[in-house]
Amino acid sequence: MSVFIKYNKPGSIGNIFNVQVLWRFNSTTAETMRKEEDEEFRVLDIMKKRDRQQKRTARKINIQPDRADRMPTDQNWGNVWPGPKTFHPSSVPLPIRQGYVPKGQAPPGKKANAELMKIPNFLHLTPPAIKTQCEAIKKYCTEWPKLLNSEDAIEKHYPVEVITSDYCHASPTIRNPLARIVNLRVKLSTLNLDKHAKDKFLRLVGDCYDEKTDFVTFVSDRCPMRKQNLDYVNYLLTACYHESWNVEDWEKEKCEDDMEYYIWDNNASKKSLVNWHLRCNNQEINLTDDEYKNYDISGISNASGYKEAVSSLMNDGENEDTVKNYGSAVRKLLGLPERKLTQC
Amino acid sequence: MISEHSTNIAFRTKRGEEKRQWSRLVHICRTMATLEGQKVPQSSSASDGISPPQRIHRGPTDILQALAATVGPDPTAAHYKYHDDPYLIPLSNFRKRSYALSAEAGRKAAAWVRDEHADLFSMREWDPPGKKKTPYLNADPHIDAFAPKPIYNDESKVTEEDFKYTLNNALVEDAIKVFELLGGVNALSEELKMEFLQLLCFYNEKEPLAMEWLEERWFAAKTRDRHSATWRLGGLADSIFTSMEPKSSEAYCAIIQGMAKYYQAERAHLLAQEAMEKGIPLSTSVFNSLISCVGFLKEGTTLRIEALKTLLAQMKEQGLSPDQGTLSSCLKSISAWGGGNMLQQVALQVVAEFKSIGLQPGLSAYYYLLCLFCKERGPRVDILTTILNDLEKRENLVPQDATDTNFFITAMGVCSDHLQDISLAERLHKLLMKGDNYRLVGDAYKESIYYRHYITVSCRHAPFEKTLELLDTLIPNVYVPEPSVMEEIIKRLEAGGAGERLAQAWSQLVVFGHANRVRLVERLLDAFCNCYQYQDDEIKAKIRLAAGDILKFGQMAEEKEEKNEMRSPVQKLSATAMTNIIELCSDVTDKADEGWEKVSQALDRLRSQQAAGVPARPQVLAQVAQRAATVGRPTIAAAAVGYLSECGFEEATSASVATLSVMLNRSEEEVKTLLQDRSNLSALHPTALAVAEAYHEVKSGASLHQSDSSTSSESDSESSDDDC
Repeated sequence: MSVFIKYNKPGSIGNIFNVQVLWRFNSTTAETMRKEEDEEFRVLDIMKKRDRQQKRTARKINIQPDRADRMPTDQNWGNVWPGPKTFHPSSVPLPIRQGYVPKGQAPPGKKANAELMKIPNFLHLTPPAIKTQCEAIKKYCTEWPKLLNSEDAIEKHYPVEVITSDYCHASPTIRNPLARIVNLRVKLSTLNLDKHAKDKFLRLVGDCYDEKTDFVTFVSDRCPMRKQNLDYVNYLLTACYHESWNVEDWEKEKCEDDMEYYIWDNNASKKSLVNWHLRCNNQEINLTDDEYKNYDISGISNASGYKEAVSSLMNDGENEDTVKNYGSAVRKLLGLPERKLTQC
Repeated sequence: MISEHSTNIAFRTKRGEEKRQWSRLVHICRTMATLEGQKVPQSSSASDGISPPQRIHRGPTDILQALAATVGPDPTAAHYKYHDDPYLIPLSNFRKRSYALSAEAGRKAAAWVRDEHADLFSMREWDPPGKKKTPYLNADPHIDAFAPKPIYNDESKVTEEDFKYTLNNALVEDAIKVFELLGGVNALSEELKMEFLQLLCFYNEKEPLAMEWLEERWFAAKTRDRHSATWRLGGLADSIFTSMEPKSSEAYCAIIQGMAKYYQAERAHLLAQEAMEKGIPLSTSVFNSLISCVGFLKEGTTLRIEALKTLLAQMKEQGLSPDQGTLSSCLKSISAWGGGNMLQQVALQVVAEFKSIGLQPGLSAYYYLLCLFCKERGPRVDILTTILNDLEKRENLVPQDATDTNFFITAMGVCSDHLQDISLAERLHKLLMKGDNYRLVGDAYKESIYYRHYITVSCRHAPFEKTLELLDTLIPNVYVPEPSVMEEIIKRLEAGGAGERLAQAWSQLVVFGHANRVRLVERLLDAFCNCYQYQDDEIKAKIRLAAGDILKFGQMAEEKEEKNEMRSPVQKLSATAMTNIIELCSDVTDKADEGWEKVSQALDRLRSQQAAGVPARPQVLAQVAQRAATVGRPTIAAAAVGYLSECGFEEATSASVATLSVMLNRSEEEVKTLLQDRSNLSALHPTALAVAEAYHEVKSGASLHQSDSSTSSESDSESSDDDC
């Protein structure tokens, strides 16, 4: 079974190198030593049968010279080697050598060389052949849409990618069950979602969202046919999208525990900051929750830095950077001196 | 609540698995989907630079055909049905045939196994052993051609479905079998009977060679169609026809066409009359087939033409308009009636008439015209130029009739024998090579005749370089020349003075399997001798090698014959050919050259009467004797002179004198005086003695007995004096 591999990312080339390494391990090493021990076991030949047998001479076979010798230098190579086939020395007029040999020896020539037959050759895909073939099928090609001249433009106008696999067999059936699998992926940023909808969408799709690449990927293999799977992934995308725009009654019951991320304005940290600020200024403290939330902290020096530091500490988790940031923000806020380098 | 909801939709995404699939991705279709992935933008909208343009329609194999059209012929390669390997590329006609047919025999054997053991190929691979197998073909999609064929015998239980299957697949014998099993005429509906009748009439109740066996069809050398009544009188078709009541128009059409196709002309016409009297309409193709066999009804050209015209008139009465088939069957009939000015005029009239109603003659019509006008011994009529002018204008030649394949071979024959015009032949070949026209070449037999004509006309009338080019492209992969063509080629090469190619011609003869044809080899040797003088030294050496090889080949063939490995007796080269070999091989100045060995072998053969006849040019042998003596091979010289004297050639006298003078380093006068006195001779060296004896032999017209003894003494002396 052979699989056509084509992928838009250049990373897959790595596979090919691995394969080459494998070939080298498989390759037969040239025979370096040949023990010549011609001592036969002597047989008593009473009837002198051997002599009679030896008389039978092998029939001479006249082999014609390689057709590579007769080829003119200006021939059209595409006519000689029109399609993929195993290497054959008599039809290839090139002095090719291949094989693994110890250092200092020349690799074996093209005749009777299994190494050359093992590897797939691309003799049928010479640049002129590719050119003529492209010219030949050009009449079935339509023009590329003019405005789709860059990857960005393509992504903008066709944000949805559907990925399927085709398989090519040498067997009675041309079907492959793997061909039914359909991947649909779309960048989250291209979807028209507001804050609430985005939050809900992410909750709906769960693992299907990859934060690093911003792709939402739907994979379906539950239906027996590709068409059905394609319909199904389209349905999933549509359903999730529209559902995420709906606001149900129970969504108002969302409390701080349900929050998907830390919002500083809603939390106790702001409350204490505001309280501390008011206390420093000897003002009265009797604010409602909403007033706390909407309190403008721009009046407090270095408060915005502190807010960011706390948010990142809570959202991104504790690590050296966030903790350090938090520390320096607090120092700034409270007007303490910078930590000295020698101390750390 | 939210988390619950999300699990309801249940996306099964396993990260690891997904990753693996990504790496296997084959192609990425960016679907034309909108954000929702539901609507595809209609491509009918004007080109906005974003939506894809309208798809260009193409059939399922169009791309493959376009790609295949980029591949041209490769003159160095054999046909692709053979293995591309020096051991397996066939170079003679016999091998081409046997290799291709062997491969086909293998395919046939495989098909036989498949049909006989159909149960082995109809199981699911994953059925566990012991479990009852489910009948199921692994193939998907199901391809009828690869599926086992049903076998019908006396025990088979058949239904109407089987009968329909056999009818649809044109399995004539199976259809007859199933027909019998079903219970004969009465068990069938009228519709099936009709179809069965049509099948029987088309094939005359004979099983056709299946389309599957391409090679067999290609190599089946069909001899010219015999124009004899092969229709099975009172056969199954007739009985079915009589059983049909009422007889429909279709039934009449089928049986009349069948009879006409297999030359049961009289009955066909009787039935046609009957149908017309009953007022049953007949089709155009019925009339076409009637026209093509109208000549069987009448004798004499005028009567036949009358009958033809009546038929055409009847056609008009029926309100049928003629088609191309009508034209070609008219011409077929006319061309079958012999030649002569009157028929030619009628044919031209017919063509003109059809042209006036807009029917251009097809290839078979042109074929019949060529048959009619270009008779072997007739006057030279050049209608081919006009025909080619017409055909070259057409975009592609569509095969319509089986006789279409006769056109190119006949036209090339006309170019070669009748018109002897190379430029026409080249035009014709160009037409054949255009587009898909090569399929009109017919079969292997026709193809080889076509090339035989082409190469012959090219050898006779084309410039030398062009002929060579043609030979290089065609031989041996496309065409292997027959002996007669090979002779033409040798003649042409001789006239062109191409020594190197002549030397190659010998190896070609061996490869093509013509090396046993003495006439051809002798012709080649003559050509060698005629061209030898003005060749370069290198080529001279090659020719000498080839000549020596010819001798060796003859010896090997004889050895084989002795061992009874050859079926037909080996013909021996004539004495003239041997002399040619001797002349060629002796043209060396080096004493140790291999050529001398060949010369002595050839002389041995001459002397032991192993070559037919006597040499045409004995003076050559005299020269050789002298040369041999000069170089220092007196044995050979003696043998040559001895042979001359044995045969009683006059040249023997002068030759022996000249040779002796060289041997003894005396002037010819001295030698002559020396020879007068026989008593002196005993002092001579044995080889010189032999020469001297030869001299006397000729002088005295010695008896056969003496000559015999001289040969024996010769052979004695030879063994002892090789080193002198």
